[in-house]
Amino acid sequence: MKPPILIIIMATIMTGTMIVMLSSHWLLIWIGFEMNMLAIIPILMKKYNPRAMEASTKYFLTQATASMLLMMGVTINLLYSGQWVISKISNPIASIMMTTALTMKLGLSPFHFWVPEVTQGITLMSGMILLTWQKIAPMSILYQISPSINTNLLMLMALTSVLVGGWGGLNQTQLRKIMAYSSIAHMGWMAAIITYNPTMMVLNLTLYILMTLSTFMLFMLNSSTTTLSLSHMWNKFPLITSMILILMLSLGGLPPLSGFIPKWMIIQELTKNNMIIIPTLMAITALLNLYFYLRLTYSTALTMFPSTNNMKMKWQFEYTKKATLLPPLIITSTMLL
Amino acid sequence: MLKIIIPTIMLIPLTWMSKPNMIWINTTTYGLLISLISLFYLNQPNDNTLNSSLMFFSDSLSAPLLALTTWLLPLMLMASQHHLSKEPLTRKKLYISMLILLQLFLIMTFTASELIFFYILFEATLIPTLIIITRWGNQTERLNAGLYFLFYTLMGSLPLLVALLYIHNFMGSLNFLMIQYWIQPLPNSWSNIFLWLACMMAFMVKMPLYGLHLWLPKAHVEAPIAGSMVLAAVLLKLGGYGMMRITTLLNPLTNFMAYPFMMLSLWGMIMTSSICLRQTDLKSLIAYSSVSHMALVIVAVLIQTPWSYMGATALMIAHGLTSSMLFCLANSNYERIHSRTMILARGLQTLLPLMAAWWLLASLTNLALPPTINLIGELFVVMSSFSWSNITIILMGINITITALYSLYMLITTQRGKYSHHIKNIKPSFTRENALMTLHLLPLLLLSLNPKIILGPLY
Repeated sequence: MKPPILIIIMATIMTGTMIVMLSSHWLLIWIGFEMNMLAIIPILMKKYNPRAMEASTKYFLTQATASMLLMMGVTINLLYSGQWVISKISNPIASIMMTTALTMKLGLSPFHFWVPEVTQGITLMSGMILLTWQKIAPMSILYQISPSINTNLLMLMALTSVLVGGWGGLNQTQLRKIMAYSSIAHMGWMAAIITYNPTMMVLNLTLYILMTLSTFMLFMLNSSTTTLSLSHMWNKFPLITSMILILMLSLGGLPPLSGFIPKWMIIQELTKNNMIIIPTLMAITALLNLYFYLRLTYSTALTMFPSTNNMKMKWQFEYTKKATLLPPLIITSTMLL
Repeated sequence: MLKIIIPTIMLIPLTWMSKPNMIWINTTTYGLLISLISLFYLNQPNDNTLNSSLMFFSDSLSAPLLALTTWLLPLMLMASQHHLSKEPLTRKKLYISMLILLQLFLIMTFTASELIFFYILFEATLIPTLIIITRWGNQTERLNAGLYFLFYTLMGSLPLLVALLYIHNFMGSLNFLMIQYWIQPLPNSWSNIFLWLACMMAFMVKMPLYGLHLWLPKAHVEAPIAGSMVLAAVLLKLGGYGMMRITTLLNPLTNFMAYPFMMLSLWGMIMTSSICLRQTDLKSLIAYSSVSHMALVIVAVLIQTPWSYMGATALMIAHGLTSSMLFCLANSNYERIHSRTMILARGLQTLLPLMAAWWLLASLTNLALPPTINLIGELFVVMSSFSWSNITIILMGINITITALYSLYMLITTQRGKYSHHIKNIKPSFTRENALMTLHLLPLLLLSLNPKIILGPLY
């Protein structure tokens, strides 16, 4: 893609999200969402093949439906409260519609079906933008309407998302689908706590974005999209394999790495609100996630897969500067000790 | 406490920046020096604890375990020298760094004063152990072993996290020293029963309790020698230590919640001892004997009498040293014949007589011969369980008999009798190996002269 066009499209994506985060008028928020969605379609279709076209179409259809649902909720809110300002939404129907629309945009269960297929059909870089940047806008709206969200609905969605994210990723060998299911599970954790303490959601989102960015960057370093190609990494970049080890354990939420911080905080907030069974269930289901991250580390870092390549240190020059910023950030942001 | 922690952290740059032929020497020497520092903590004021800072403290329960942990690091390094000698330098340094990291987490776990801090470090010890088992183990089953190890422990400890946060909410603080004064008796209700279960299951899996012990033979057998040593000697004691700390919060519910676990432990120790009698794999035998000894500790902790706590503490330290020594002996066999089968290397007494002396002493301490501290621990536990219920003496007696049986079986199979033909050209014992056994044995024998230090806070 020619650089000027790429710059314009990227700028539109960013502007769209910024408009969503900064406005207080519901119409502008909707406009921001639409800008964002329309601008990201060419990014999703960078590689012009039928798979990418299918992925972009699925993405477009789900996001457009969600935006329309959002608009409907906004209109009902306008009908009952007479104003366009984003604030406490008094009407439960409007609130439920908005919540449903925003969870469709995020890919929470039961609206999660598009996430693995879209992520699989696009390149690694587009997948990275899809799973990180695109989550910011809906999350910011959920943050702003959090006092009026129906807790039961969101908690149900969160629980099912964690379950789906855990079980769905178990049978995958394609890295993009694994990251998609990981995204579903993490969104579930975030959604569980919005109504109780929205700050923890921001914490979880930040750490999740950091970890996912690093993971995708490490995958792009090797241009690997399957577990098999990742397992040849011990030959080319031995150091990166230990990075992947720690990163995967951090995604799985093992102490003392920073992936544990959001889980700890979320469980703490939920137990403060007298919910004991739900955080226990969520924590135990997160072990399913840990299983498939661990399987990735087994094939990458802890065993040496047979490979025909006998030369070490083959490609030292690609992307080495960009990737090394983030993994230390991830590991050392454990503020626990 | 920083005077132990900071030197341990600095051991990592020491390994990475030493000259290649000095890495083992440097780390072992400085590890021994650090263990000398930890011995100072054994000097405890009466009835009180030594508070070092806001986050760390040490009392008569954690100080012996701390000394055991720091003593074991140089021993692990000495034991690993041979099987790592052919690896490239970076991998050797990585291995040593993993051991040091594990040591660091263990030191902090034993001296943590707040329960959530303890939990985080308790989980953190899993990661270096997993890496050591999966990366440097010798057989293909090590992948499965690592998975079993990690998931059994995590499945038990996630409810512990929820329970600790709930107690924090309920009681205001989880600082161990303050909690002793704030506890209220726990009434009997379904939710309190689940709270008790959530608190205890993590440690039960770690100990391990008989029904949940599947991870232990796998992990011990597949781990390299340093991994086996640290698993048997220290990581199992984490479970015992945690149980002792957390049962202060859970009275009087323990009185009847303990029954199923007591039954499992009492029956399990006989079962696992009997399994030992039929083992062909040497490391597997020692692993099952660990389960059996730890079942005694579980029984002791659940009874909650002063004598049983003293017995549990003494037994933990004694079993740590004994089990680690047995794994070192088994490893010296493995390095020579590259097989763990016992009958392949018989009659070693004629070939390696000094090693046979260490085998004899290790087996004798394993079967709790007087006047070793193993006996003190077992005797206290047997006596206190007799006072809890008279019938348990039958089971305990059977267990002590079977323990003696399999220890002697192991001794006789490997040492006595005519040697098998194919082991005539094994290498003689290295000085390093003899030094390793001596360093294991000396604390055991010297402690039998003054067992007061390891008898714990209720002495």
